[in-house]
Amino acid sequence: MKNIYEPLKFKLDKVVEESPLIKTFFLTPDEDFTFKTGQFVEVTIDGTGEAPYTPSSSAWVKDKMEITIMKAGYVTEKMHKMKGGEILGIRGPFGRGYPIDKFYDNEILILGGGVGIAPLRCLILTMLEEEEKFKKIDICFGAKTPPDFIYKDWYKELGDHKRVNLLRSVDKADDSWDETEGLVTVLLDKVKTDFSKVMAVVCGPPIMMKFGTFRLLELGVKEENIYLSMEKNMSCGLGKCGHCAMGNYFVCKDGPVFTYAEIKDYPNIWI
Amino acid sequence: MKNYAIEREKWSEFLKRIAQKENIYAPFMREKNIEYLHVNADNADSIEYHIAKPTSSVKIFFFPIKENVVKNALEKRQIIIGVPACDLASLNLMDKIFLDEDFLDPYYQKRREETILIGNDCYEITDSCHCTAYDIAPYPTKNYDINLASHEEKIYLSVNSEKGEKFFDSIKNGDFQEIDSLPDAIDMKRMKTAEKVKKQNKQLPELDSTRKLVLEDHEKVWKKFAKTCVSCGACSAICPTCHCFLLLDKENFEKIKNWDTCQYPSFEKVAAGEDPLRRLYDRLKNRYLCKFVHKPDMFGEIACTGCGRCIDACIGEINKNELIIELSNC
Ligand code: SF4
Ligand code: SF4
Ligand code: FES
Repeated sequence: MKNIYEPLKFKLDKVVEESPLIKTFFLTPDEDFTFKTGQFVEVTIDGTGEAPYTPSSSAWVKDKMEITIMKAGYVTEKMHKMKGGEILGIRGPFGRGYPIDKFYDNEILILGGGVGIAPLRCLILTMLEEEEKFKKIDICFGAKTPPDFIYKDWYKELGDHKRVNLLRSVDKADDSWDETEGLVTVLLDKVKTDFSKVMAVVCGPPIMMKFGTFRLLELGVKEENIYLSMEKNMSCGLGKCGHCAMGNYFVCKDGPVFTYAEIKDYPNIWI
Repeated sequence: MKNYAIEREKWSEFLKRIAQKENIYAPFMREKNIEYLHVNADNADSIEYHIAKPTSSVKIFFFPIKENVVKNALEKRQIIIGVPACDLASLNLMDKIFLDEDFLDPYYQKRREETILIGNDCYEITDSCHCTAYDIAPYPTKNYDINLASHEEKIYLSVNSEKGEKFFDSIKNGDFQEIDSLPDAIDMKRMKTAEKVKKQNKQLPELDSTRKLVLEDHEKVWKKFAKTCVSCGACSAICPTCHCFLLLDKENFEKIKNWDTCQYPSFEKVAAGEDPLRRLYDRLKNRYLCKFVHKPDMFGEIACTGCGRCIDACIGEINKNELIIELSNC
């Protein structure tokens, strides 16, 4: 029987710098690895520590996996020093991801900011494998400044997809920027969709999730149609260690994706 | 259920004999504390029976303080004598967490399977005992393989599970006499203990009202009681239902499962720095919300067994029951 505490071994093929603080790690598993979009994995740096990440590559790909990681402490600092060739440990996949079946035949609105674009890339790539099953995919992405946008080469191709309508904003523009300037929520005013029916997905820094959700509610999006992925200080991923407790949920097992309706009554959901 | 009687002296001889090949633990007085220790031929006569809870809860046998959960070999049979009813009750919740079929914990599972639990009636109680307030009787009613009761010069064993029966059949000798039922005197003793526990907890609200009370705001009360909390985590360490841990990393992708608690600062702090439990009184309250609201809601099980250990262990002298009573007077 498989030991739930023992990581699988993944080889680090290469590392790509996305922005000064963010890098994408390209991995090859020892054996095929399957996960659902929105689920997360625990990444172990041997002898150093473990941290939770949602893959940023498509859930259709089983023999490769990409994870985008922001430098934010001891473990991630060590990761950022890696060059390729190292072995990483992976446990998972864990949790409840995005309910793709519920998204079929609907208009989808995706709101993301900063490194929160990473798990959304997984969702979008996964959806685009069967693009015709979604009526329309509106995507609003934000970053602090133009160089802070991760996956720089991706947006052109993404915008070319028939059912995709991509809008981007930066809090602070520079001369190179000819798209929107302002907080990512301002992009919502440019989206043409039936807000009362749309399935909205929000991922980003807590403050962005908070104001993004409030704006969506104002626009008429239903509480049960707003999908949020919650960041918690996860350790085990197994619904045992207690670190991710949020009211009556273990975010690692019952989440990390929740509808706003499911969690709105808990205090502190945005911190 | 089969019941057996044996003379005390014979029981003692029997224990000394089986202790030579079995891995047995039982409560002993050590300094001022009652601790589970390994039983051998020399100490078998001084086992403490029927006293209220040992200092450590039974969880230490299934969920040790620190354990390598990648490399450690899974252990073999252990027999625990003298487990109080409150600790046996805690296993409902612990089993649901660690034996969750989605993610079976192989270490916990192996230990549970390989452990024979010999419960015993409480005939003595301490000031902090309040099992009856939460509908737990002070004598084993569930989760035990064999129970031990005693009266005058006799020990009475009641075999409750298949595992217990198999074990007992494999070791019993002619000194055990099968009897139809336990003597009435034992019932009397049990009722007497239950009365004592009830009497000392007359003011304590029951589970339902406790749940409501901890859900209410009463910030003042929480702040007042949190004043002397030093975040040492002793309340969690000795609690039979506190299950939180942290996985620590060792080379070669080994993991150490190490007890942890929401009472420590930064328990819930995320990488970006936000911490829902940064305030001391929120941490204190969190433990009560966990016991009286979240765990019962999530698992349908009692998460406070009324063992009272957290009251005894607190160096800040925070008394859980006084806190709940104060909430009920608000
Ligand atoms: S709380 Fe009840 S069951 Fe536990 S030791 Fe005290 S009397 Fe015995
Ligand atoms: S909260 Fe206190 S009284 Fe309740 S089970 Fe835990 S240690 Fe015992
Ligand atoms: S991360 Fe351990 S319970 Fe959720």
